[in-house]
Amino acid sequence: MVDNKRKKELEDKIEKSKKVIREAFSKFDPQDLAVTWTGGKDSTLTTWLVKSVCDEDGTKMPKAMTIDEGDSFEEIQSFLKKYSKEWGIDLVWCKNADVIDAAGGELGADVKVEDLNSQNQKEIRERLQYTGDKFPFEAESWIGNHLMKTVVFNNFLKEHNIKAMFMGIRWDEQPARKKDDYFAEKGDSYTPTHTRIQPILHFTERDIWDTTKTFDIPYCPLYEQGYRSLGAATTSVKMSDIPAWEQDLENTVERAGRRQDKEKAMDRLRKLGYM
Amino acid sequence: MKNTILITIDALRADMVDLYKDRGLTPFIDSLSQKMTIYKDAHSTGPYTQASFQGILASQYYLEYGKEKKLNKDKILISEILKKAGIYTAAFHSNAYLSYYFGYNRGWDVFYDSMADEVTDMYPFVRGDGINAKVEEFLKNFSFSSPLFLWVHYMDVHEPYIAEKDYLKKIAPDLSVIKDEMFTLFKDTLLKRDVSDSDKVDTLKKLYMAKVAETDGYIKDLFDILSSHNLTESSDIIITSDHGDEFLEHGGLSHDGKMYSELINVPLLIYSKDIEKKEIDTPVSLIDIPPTIAAFMETEPAPSFKGDSLWPIDLISPRTLYGEAMGKLGHKEKDSDRPIYYMIDEGIKVIYREDGSTWEAYKRDDDPADRNNIPSGISGGKKDKLNKFINRNQIKRRRYGR
Repeated sequence: MVDNKRKKELEDKIEKSKKVIREAFSKFDPQDLAVTWTGGKDSTLTTWLVKSVCDEDGTKMPKAMTIDEGDSFEEIQSFLKKYSKEWGIDLVWCKNADVIDAAGGELGADVKVEDLNSQNQKEIRERLQYTGDKFPFEAESWIGNHLMKTVVFNNFLKEHNIKAMFMGIRWDEQPARKKDDYFAEKGDSYTPTHTRIQPILHFTERDIWDTTKTFDIPYCPLYEQGYRSLGAATTSVKMSDIPAWEQDLENTVERAGRRQDKEKAMDRLRKLGYM
Repeated sequence: MKNTILITIDALRADMVDLYKDRGLTPFIDSLSQKMTIYKDAHSTGPYTQASFQGILASQYYLEYGKEKKLNKDKILISEILKKAGIYTAAFHSNAYLSYYFGYNRGWDVFYDSMADEVTDMYPFVRGDGINAKVEEFLKNFSFSSPLFLWVHYMDVHEPYIAEKDYLKKIAPDLSVIKDEMFTLFKDTLLKRDVSDSDKVDTLKKLYMAKVAETDGYIKDLFDILSSHNLTESSDIIITSDHGDEFLEHGGLSHDGKMYSELINVPLLIYSKDIEKKEIDTPVSLIDIPPTIAAFMETEPAPSFKGDSLWPIDLISPRTLYGEAMGKLGHKEKDSDRPIYYMIDEGIKVIYREDGSTWEAYKRDDDPADRNNIPSGISGGKKDKLNKFINRNQIKRRRYGR
């Protein structure tokens, strides 16, 4: 439990987030907005904050979207089902079914590029400039991450005519995030133009847990088992066996439990011929 | 307190820098020489990044606790002790082996490893101009309210050696190679270690030299950026490399698990406006860099540091140098690879390759290129001395499961 001084700090952080959310609602209609809700702690707090503002102001709650990369935790799926129902949120489940089908739903299976639909082929050849005939079906590999997440995200924007997305990004996640703004314009020839609204940028990992606990916000039980950061099921690694919020958050690295950093480094080493 | 800036250039051989052998490839670095201490005989702790950066940033040997996948937590980076002392620490590089994943992010206030950025097959790293842009952006926003330790690393000299026409023209006016052909040379000749066609190897070496000249330009640009923040005036600036590259000197290419001078001898230069040109002939090691930086920044070296400060220069005494790595041949490491070690002691370089238990010795004075193996050089307790180094830490290594 936190003391009163800390509680006040957290309340101030929440107010700051709500201000960003209200600003978003002043710029966009609810039907043009959506929340990215992965089921992780950050996006759950973001969803909770958006919902709180809607409840307080009598605004219609925007829809939420979540991506099934074909390798997701059961626990996350049931968590999302439970709370989207309880909170009355229209949650859209998105996936790149074409790629999952081509892999026969089997992780690590080879996907032949020629078996994919024209959009996926175009993304691989033109955008990623990958020239191989096949690639392994893995959510957090270079091609997998792009097809299973980026492409799915972009398609969601297009299909639902979304102009702005709420996202649970934080400044303290990694140095590259330090310059992020609460409102960021995105879009290029592959990505529909949209605004990313990042209302919890100023929360640290510690703030997230203190807020979640103090204000009784639900969280996926995997964190209780020691996961600090949740990605794909087969590539997320437990950092320890004690609950995330009891770990040494300040002096250890949150994302060391995920394989993306490894994939990126390995990809570079492959290009240099080391692998 | 002055700031310290560490500039490292991946895969730059000592003899490609004009101050070591005048080929006209590094006019900018040369132009700084009047304000430099030039360590003429500097040695890396290993022939490739994983083995040598342990020396450069942690003052450690690669196999201290046995072979490791990531930097061992007991090896303290210079950034960690400086940050603890209230010095602002910032790193800008694009080498995957030094990335967050491998544990080199420890102790940095700002750590840019470029792994989140897209790169191409021909340039599988962020190039020098991109690195400089990151440094420039950082300095623009830096408050300078505490002393700064800045590390900038360039990958441009590292293969695949895709050279720019203008630089190549100066080095080899008659050579005409387009970038696709350079990339084919990398894939089919260099990566395959195919040394059957000496013309191709010769071309590779010229491309490499063109990359050295290009990188000299990036160093110049960096100095311009530093100087616009008064940092060339207010800093000690160290310029070095992690290892060299081979072009058939010992039958191979690139930088495999060998300990010969084309891979181990590196440039080591310290620039400061407060000093006059001085050349140091005493053999020194990159393992001495972290204690040197600690001395510059008036900070206690970490107890885990294995090297000794190179500063002040009058106190450098003759010492025994060591290095170790896995003796891999070819880029890819195999489980069957065994370690290789070297020692430089009283003018003799001894190399021991565990695979095959072979010993070699070279006289540094007469044979700095390590060409003529003199078995007699191994007598006089040298073998025992190197063996003592090899067999150190047996207990610790067992703990780490070697």
